Amino acid sequence: MRYPEIRQQNRRMLILMLAGLILTLILMSLPLYSFDVGIYTKKSGNTFVGDEKYQAVRAEVEAVAEDYRAQGFNVEIEENVLERVNSKGNTTSLITFTVTERYSKNIFAFLGKGLSSSLVAAAILVLMAAALVCELAGLAGTDDLVPRYLGRKSRRLRSGAIAALVLSLLLVPVFILMNNVIFSRQLSLYNAELITEGKDALFAKLDSFFFDGKMGENIGDALGGLKISHSPMIWIWFATLFVSLLAAISLRYGEIKSGLLRGILYVFVAVVCLITLYPYYVMTITAFHSNAETLDMYFLHMFPTKWIWSNLTDIVQRGVPRYLLNSLFVAGGATALAMLCGVPAAYAMARMNFVGKKAFLGFVIMSQMFSPVVLLIGISQLMNTLHLNNTLWGLMLINAAFNQAFAIWLLRGTFVSISSEMEQAAMIDGCGTVGALTRVLIPMAAPGIVTALIFVFINAWNEYTIATVLISTAQNRPITVGITQFSSFNMIEWQYMFAASLLATIPVVILFMSIEKYLTAGLTSGGVKG
Amino acid sequence: MNTGLNRTKWEPYVWLLPSILLIAIFVVFPILIVFKLSFSEISKAGVIGGFIGFDNYVEAVHLPAFKTVMLNTLWWVLSVVILSTLLGFIIAMVLNQKFHGQKIARAIMVFPWATSLVIQASVWNYIIKAEYGNLNNVLLNLGIIRQAINWRSSYQIEFVWECWVGIFVTVPFVTFCVLSGLQSIDGSLYEAATMDGAGFWHKLRHITLPMVRPSLTVSTVLNIIYVFNSFPIVYTMTKGAPAHKTDTMITYLYMLSFYERKKGPATALSVIGFLILCVCAGIYMMTVMRKEEEL
Repeated sequence: MRYPEIRQQNRRMLILMLAGLILTLILMSLPLYSFDVGIYTKKSGNTFVGDEKYQAVRAEVEAVAEDYRAQGFNVEIEENVLERVNSKGNTTSLITFTVTERYSKNIFAFLGKGLSSSLVAAAILVLMAAALVCELAGLAGTDDLVPRYLGRKSRRLRSGAIAALVLSLLLVPVFILMNNVIFSRQLSLYNAELITEGKDALFAKLDSFFFDGKMGENIGDALGGLKISHSPMIWIWFATLFVSLLAAISLRYGEIKSGLLRGILYVFVAVVCLITLYPYYVMTITAFHSNAETLDMYFLHMFPTKWIWSNLTDIVQRGVPRYLLNSLFVAGGATALAMLCGVPAAYAMARMNFVGKKAFLGFVIMSQMFSPVVLLIGISQLMNTLHLNNTLWGLMLINAAFNQAFAIWLLRGTFVSISSEMEQAAMIDGCGTVGALTRVLIPMAAPGIVTALIFVFINAWNEYTIATVLISTAQNRPITVGITQFSSFNMIEWQYMFAASLLATIPVVILFMSIEKYLTAGLTSGGVKG
Repeated sequence: MNTGLNRTKWEPYVWLLPSILLIAIFVVFPILIVFKLSFSEISKAGVIGGFIGFDNYVEAVHLPAFKTVMLNTLWWVLSVVILSTLLGFIIAMVLNQKFHGQKIARAIMVFPWATSLVIQASVWNYIIKAEYGNLNNVLLNLGIIRQAINWRSSYQIEFVWECWVGIFVTVPFVTFCVLSGLQSIDGSLYEAATMDGAGFWHKLRHITLPMVRPSLTVSTVLNIIYVFNSFPIVYTMTKGAPAHKTDTMITYLYMLSFYERKKGPATALSVIGFLILCVCAGIYMMTVMRKEEEL
């Protein structure tokens, strides 16, 4: 790239970054947050709108409102009428008067108010300023003689600018969530007297945030009816930050169009990953909830109020280790059996010619097609005849048989891809066929064998349907069936269910990730699925 | 590929024997049992009587829920397979690009595939609970919705959720299948096309699609079979309630035989399902065998 183009690019980059930052600052100074604070509440039962009692209460409330206006609050009176039929069949109503004030706040309003989210707000501002400074300093140090159009130092500075922008971008949702937690969840917990420690300190901070400390002792009532809302503009702010980040990156590496496409790519990947991880997030946090929190909408939260580690010890007492051991036994045994039968078969298929080879291949592929579910009735009948009903052995055999096809198929592929010369040499040196297989081929085919091994193991570990049918006593349950015991008609103990699920999931996910590299290689030929 | 060393004629069969025995006893034998049972009279207590011809089939077809269940199965298979193939294809195209964090993204994509279906379905079951589910919780906390939404207000919507979970767990398989196809494409093909002025859609149609078609075919046919066979999602989330309106064929035949003690029609349904699978399997076999010959 030549010098004038570089200069032009640098200029464009600066303009884009500046535009993004300025737009962000404008959006930040808009009152994106609004809080409806009830300063005073009065309830009046057994009245009708307009009758004497109503008039009296209304006058009382208006006097209070007037009082607040005199103190400089901008207040309104809200009326909430709830009609109901009493035991005598008469309709009466409960009227609630609330004196509310709407506060609209921008991000700058949070600064210096002692709330934990105000620290985040400050961090966002500082990071954005840092990004700007780094960017400008980086531009100033541009050295047109350096081939990649930037001096090392300025390159570092501009990477720093991008990093600062990324961080501030990540902090935006943190800021929003923290506000929601402080203003609604924590408050409702305090008001319901579920938490008592730290109440005064928080209330004093909120008093200074909303009322400049004027509320004093009435702050509890005032915050009782707090409603918060944030305008969707917050997400525009988020998007703006992101676009300025993109502009910075794209111009650093070249064209705007490809830079934007890259940005969209990152957004897409991020969204897909977040959606994919979402159930795992739910599983993890729920595993550490108390039972009340799992079932109560009232606890609005992203993380447990208190991490209950005793859930883990509780499920130990509820037999989960036993289920895990059962699963390990079934899956391990099934894997061993499937490999013991599968390796010779795959070897024969890969290295020998015989009549009916094709027929056997077809037989194998066909057997892969039938999930045991369609054959459930037949399998349970067969297990009855063999006296293997409700035994782990029966489960193991079924799993081995239904994974046989896949094992053979994948192993055969691996064996075929390895040249047979080494084995021939070994056989000429006096090894038998078995020796050639165990000493030469198997070590060479180790990655493929491990992949097949892990795959069969995971399939057997995750199997659920056959186990529900075959296993009838608690002590023989594998973990997949075991977790369902935490749900019954009248009570579901989600926290235990997910704690056990977590224990059942972590090992297999790790195993699966270890073979992920080989997945893309031998996949379509093998037709693998759990 | 003969190694040229002495081998008796029956040696290959010895090598195959354990495998054949395993499959024959635990896969083929149950198939035969199901076939036999479907033509036999079975009492409510499960006592097997004599041959009764096609009576079980007639009874199965005339079950009140039969039509709903078959339609559900069709919807279930079609929506899950088509949507997850589409999504998986797009995700694979994206993951095939070079970008920072590609390895992490691929590792994350593996998660739903590695997780037991029953666990996955339980988690989603919790997520969409109307009274305390986590989806409402998250959306409220993010300020996207103002009021909790009942995510399962009718059985149709519940069925849609079941399809969603099906798609969620099926997408990674398609993604990795297509990725393996995409990785086999020679990059110079694209370069040549770009030189000739081909746009994105043109390249997609004339290079990418033809090249990944084999892996796409395999993954689609396999998915039809696996999705058809899928049991834990529907069973965990609704158990087919209300009145089998969300059942698919597989969960329905399970309910019939193990809850309602109608083993006769259930075995008949098994055989029908088995035959449907046979057709799919046949198509799959032809595809794979043809590919084998090409190699």
